[in-house]
Amino acid sequence: MGTPRIDGKHWVAPMTVVCLVLGGMLGVQVHTQQLRGATQVGRQTSALVGMLTRNEAQVEQQQEEIERLRGVLSEYEREAASEKGLTRLMQEELHTTRIALGTVAVKGPGVELELSDSTMRAGGGFGDQDVYVIHDFDLLQVANELWCAGAEAVSINGQRLLAGSPIACSARLIEVNKVTVASPFKFKAIGDRDKLMSALNIRDGVLDRLRVLQFPVKLMPKEEVVIPPISVPPKYEHAQPVGKEAKQ
Amino acid sequence: MIAIPFSALVLGFLVVYVLLPPVPPRWADYVAIAIVAGLDAFVGAARNWLERRFDEAIFISGFFVNMALAALLAYFGDKLGVDLYLAVLVALGIRIFNNLGRTRALLVTARVEARRVRPAAPSE
Repeated sequence: MGTPRIDGKHWVAPMTVVCLVLGGMLGVQVHTQQLRGATQVGRQTSALVGMLTRNEAQVEQQQEEIERLRGVLSEYEREAASEKGLTRLMQEELHTTRIALGTVAVKGPGVELELSDSTMRAGGGFGDQDVYVIHDFDLLQVANELWCAGAEAVSINGQRLLAGSPIACSARLIEVNKVTVASPFKFKAIGDRDKLMSALNIRDGVLDRLRVLQFPVKLMPKEEVVIPPISVPPKYEHAQPVGKEAKQ
Repeated sequence: MIAIPFSALVLGFLVVYVLLPPVPPRWADYVAIAIVAGLDAFVGAARNWLERRFDEAIFISGFFVNMALAALLAYFGDKLGVDLYLAVLVALGIRIFNNLGRTRALLVTARVEARRVRPAAPSE
């Protein structure tokens, strides 16, 4: 080093003492921060990722369980259906109810629609990039259009839409059935193909609005569309049927 | 000669890191601010040394007292609900940068002058 020499070595001892203390404090601090990282979840991405993976594993496990239970259930039903009369009627009603509840996968003719964020970037026309991304209300509008046109089953990115399926914006992400979905958004709908197509393509409708802003929109009719069941069927904690069985 | 304080630094780090338990998390902030105060004393000492007015008594006392004061001030700030922590941090930060800048300037000047006096000899 190009330091000017100065008299003696009287700096060595105090410097050593100070370094010892400073090193010790750094040691304790690094140690503390490491433990903090391990226990305090809020700040640490790694911890969050760990939690997410664990939760995903759990969800997977529970979905397997649901699958298994459904298998058992359908076995019971098959046995019951082999009997005659009333059980058969009930069986048919159950069939419709299950489609409505979304607990079974369904297939049939329909349409597929794919929406992605716009290829335009902010700065060109309007100021805000928000204009050029798909929002929850776009999806809501499309879903509503599909129901209006008589769709019998609808899904977004594999999430079955049912009565009471929320489509909501949560921290710049879109959640369908409380599951995060991202662009591209793939709608599948079963119903009368022509009606569905014309309803979506209606002049100044939602797709027209998106096309103007150069959102890539891919809409195609399909011979057969397969729509998956809902992963977690709704639970009814508060609502109770009113009728003969009701005790009031 | 610089090796002795340096190895003391490493030794202190390792001994505490390996042997001692970590402090409770709510004290961690005070330790952090104390470390910053220690760094400030350190850099200040470097500057003083280059300016040839280094004094070990001032250095040692400044190091420990400033550390304690910085942590104490942050602690009182927390008790009062005022972010004195930030005030300490900003003040120390500015001082550290000033002293670092001054140190660098002194080092560069020393080098330039050494070259001017003896152009042939490589400055060490």
